[in-house]
Amino acid sequence: MKAYLGIDVGSVSTNIVVQDQAGKIHAGLYIRTMGRPIEALLKGLRQVGESLPPDIEIEAAGTTGSGRYLAGVMVNADVIKNEITAHAVAASLLVPDVRTVLEIGGQDSKIIIMRNGIVTDFAMNTVCAAGTGSFLDQQASRLNIPITDFGDLALSSASPVRIAGRCTVFAESDMIHKQQMGHSLQDIINGLCEALVRNYLNNVGKGKEILSPVVFQGGVAANKGIKAAFERFLNLPVIIPEYHNIMGAIGVAQLAGEEVRKTGGTKFKGFHITGLTYKTGSFECGGCPNGCEIAEIYEGDRVIGRWGARCQRWDIIN
Amino acid sequence: MTARVGIPSSLLYYMHFPMWKTFFNELNVEVVISGNSNKNLLDEGVKEALADACVPVKLYFGHALSLKDKVDYLFIPRVVCLNRRTIYCPKFLGLPDMIRYGLSGMPPVIDMKMDVREGRLSLLKAYTGIGEIFGATRWKTFTAYYKAAKKAAFYQSLLQKGLLPPEAMKIVLNTADSGKKSPAGIEHDLTFAVLGYPYEVHDDYISVGVVNKLKKLGVKVITMENLPAGPLSRQNSDLDKIMFWTFSDWVLRGTHYLFKTGSVDGIIHLTAFGCGPDSMVDKLMELASKKYKNIPFMSLTIDEHSGDAGVSTRLEAFTDMVRRKKEVFK
Amino acid sequence: MPRVTFPHMGESYRSFKMLLNDLGNDVVLPPRPSKRTLDHGVRYSPEFACFPLKILMGTYVETCRLGAEIIVTSGGVGPCRAGHYGQMHKKILQDIGFPVDVVVFEPPRFHPIDFLRNIQKLNPDRLSYRAIWDCIKRAWQKLSALDEAEKLTHVVRPRETVPGATTRAYRKALEWIDRSYTSKEISEAHAAALEAIKSVEQDPERKILKVGIVGEIYVLLEPASNLEIEETLGNLGVEVERSMFLTGWTKDNTGQETHEIITVKDAAMPYIPLCIGGHGRESVGHTVIYAKRGFDGVIQMAPFTCIPEIVARTILTSVSREYGIPVLTFFLDEQTGKAGMSTRLEAFVDLMKRKKWQEPGTGQAAVNI
Repeated sequence: MKAYLGIDVGSVSTNIVVQDQAGKIHAGLYIRTMGRPIEALLKGLRQVGESLPPDIEIEAAGTTGSGRYLAGVMVNADVIKNEITAHAVAASLLVPDVRTVLEIGGQDSKIIIMRNGIVTDFAMNTVCAAGTGSFLDQQASRLNIPITDFGDLALSSASPVRIAGRCTVFAESDMIHKQQMGHSLQDIINGLCEALVRNYLNNVGKGKEILSPVVFQGGVAANKGIKAAFERFLNLPVIIPEYHNIMGAIGVAQLAGEEVRKTGGTKFKGFHITGLTYKTGSFECGGCPNGCEIAEIYEGDRVIGRWGARCQRWDIIN
Repeated sequence: MTARVGIPSSLLYYMHFPMWKTFFNELNVEVVISGNSNKNLLDEGVKEALADACVPVKLYFGHALSLKDKVDYLFIPRVVCLNRRTIYCPKFLGLPDMIRYGLSGMPPVIDMKMDVREGRLSLLKAYTGIGEIFGATRWKTFTAYYKAAKKAAFYQSLLQKGLLPPEAMKIVLNTADSGKKSPAGIEHDLTFAVLGYPYEVHDDYISVGVVNKLKKLGVKVITMENLPAGPLSRQNSDLDKIMFWTFSDWVLRGTHYLFKTGSVDGIIHLTAFGCGPDSMVDKLMELASKKYKNIPFMSLTIDEHSGDAGVSTRLEAFTDMVRRKKEVFK
Repeated sequence: MPRVTFPHMGESYRSFKMLLNDLGNDVVLPPRPSKRTLDHGVRYSPEFACFPLKILMGTYVETCRLGAEIIVTSGGVGPCRAGHYGQMHKKILQDIGFPVDVVVFEPPRFHPIDFLRNIQKLNPDRLSYRAIWDCIKRAWQKLSALDEAEKLTHVVRPRETVPGATTRAYRKALEWIDRSYTSKEISEAHAAALEAIKSVEQDPERKILKVGIVGEIYVLLEPASNLEIEETLGNLGVEVERSMFLTGWTKDNTGQETHEIITVKDAAMPYIPLCIGGHGRESVGHTVIYAKRGFDGVIQMAPFTCIPEIVARTILTSVSREYGIPVLTFFLDEQTGKAGMSTRLEAFVDLMKRKKWQEPGTGQAAVNI
């Protein structure tokens, strides 16, 4: 059976899916990137490669996420796409008439407005992390509660506490203040969920026309408290897809499939690359006062990719 | 020994440098510029300027500082009004004062006021005042002014033909390296307008290379300078009262002109973090884009920490969006 | 009857309410800006708009929900952004779905006809111009009474022996002024108010610091936006003199410029030779004047991202050094917390105290906390 491989290397997680032409997911993997994208990717690919039924043949491969170029040169992807396009494609694959996509990941968040299956508008977080998952992660560790319990605790609260601040630091000091005033833990957690949603809507969602159906994806979508808060604020039902945390990979797998239909064949190197050695290096370019920090990746002894330059000096010419 | 005048390569540089340089050279004054923006200049500027100032001002501080020991004078004109209709942002009005009182040990600042509302000859008067500083005769100053104005008109005509300011400036000042042709051969299937203040759009460092990034994505870029001056000055921007500030007014007129003529595939508003006028301009552009849904609109905020990755992702996503839309409607 | 509302700026609403009622309007009183006001303001305003725009945006959303149909506000000829707020608010409110009209009063000396036309929009009772003039005169009288009562509290509060006594007397006095209607009643209430505040028990021996307050008009005039800085300073034993009151500002912008502002202009001249919009030049000029009058310090208040005040701040560093007067600046926005502000105010007061009473002749250093 022919299938497409989608890889999403993000700052927090690395996700890999294998999806067939009918849209069935044969492998869906979510692992932490832990600041080592190459190792995470190789580990993930190894696991997926081992778990796949032998009759599956990878016909196309695509990469997305903030590590898309790195992953792209490593596997030789057919398509390297930004995560907005990938998320939009994935959402419309699962909910064909979707008009709003809310996506909240670990360190970034975005909103995508779609009409008739096409992206018409989008925005990404600009200011800071107060509208992203890491905000909740930080507060969870401050409260000493596993993040997985957040949703249930939030749902058991009757009246959320108002936690102010568009910035993580301000919100944190306000939360400590509310704790000291003796508010219950459930209400504070529910308040944190509301603060995140409010920050998200005031920053990323500002001025956007949010219409139903609304799809909510990204790692934070697992949190029931956030979903409930969105439903309260928007007054609309919010749909959470089954594979909400690997939607980027699903989308780029689909895009890779489309691309290969145009080009005729995949460039994907195959799962054997997990046996190769990759190493990275970096240096500061002294060519001009910008002092760009150039990062490189080697496959064996050969440089296969370079990033970080503001000019063409270090471009790789094949 | 000829006197040396320093002109920071930022803010109004992109609009008026050809004129200024010609004028000073005609007076036998050497012009020293601070060159392209880079990390050092910005870092120095950030250190000295007030934290609450906008990035372009911080960068300007850096440019001015780098000229400190290299020149006898700094040329920072107090440009108030050049079209009898709108004035420049308060930071331009207070710029010479900020440099003089905000930095120590700076060379004397030439801060002639340029305000055409004060009479038809006010600009000539301002330039005459500059000529006096260098002991030039009135006639000499006048011919220098005349030649400078002609140069400015030539620069303007190149911009109107579709050249971007950095390219046009090279031609006007004969600094184009004739041997190496610019890579104009890149194919493009889309045209975007990148609207924003010249000192952001054309400063490759502070804009994180937006124009070049778009070119690589197969997009032809036009900017405010390329829009036809005549229709633009007659274009209204759906306001009860026109914008006070020259550049903001220009951006808004450009936006409405493009929305009404539909002559581009996408509009990107490039805005600096913490820019006061832009907080309004951006909102007004957003409201306009809701009214005219024919052209996709995106606003891109840049600051001193702008990461390359974030900007690339947004530009790629925007280009994808426009391209897919175009394919569907074809 | 049209339902009219206007911006909230300190206690001035008491006067505007009377004026608009007299002309036959149904007034929707703007509530004092609260957390909720700010929430609305932040939600609907551009992110980097200045603080006043956000507070006003929030206020208008609240009053529109109460049924306001017409908003009355002031304009401006730039280059400060506030001159565009009228049309900006109108566009945003209409985008949200409130069909409001915004009546913007531009300075009558530039736009006399517009001014009269606007007045007629707010005159459903079709009063004669003479009658309108009488109403305006009384409103003006009330506004002056309110301003003077407030000014007096700034002098009395630092000297009060019972904490909070001045504020209590002031609240009472405000009610008297609020209830007065005829010209005679207003003068009586005015006199009684001043008397009541003066008779607050004071300690004449107390050592008092004097601080001048400069900056952007809205954050100076709306205590809710500056976290009641004047009251906080009064409680710390500091007499404040604010550079701006609504009555003074209106005079400068309606008819001839007053004599006072010319001296401010002159004072600022060596540093900043032309108007840079907002109150940037005034901030510099007033600081110079306060320094010459022997004040112990100056506090500048401005909305976050306010360009005229940023330019002024850059220059104030030199003024502070040359005149040896400490200057403390607050850039206010919705993130400003009262706790952080009090800490900095207390430190600033300590610094001025040390400079004044323990180290005579020294302390030339400029402060920038």
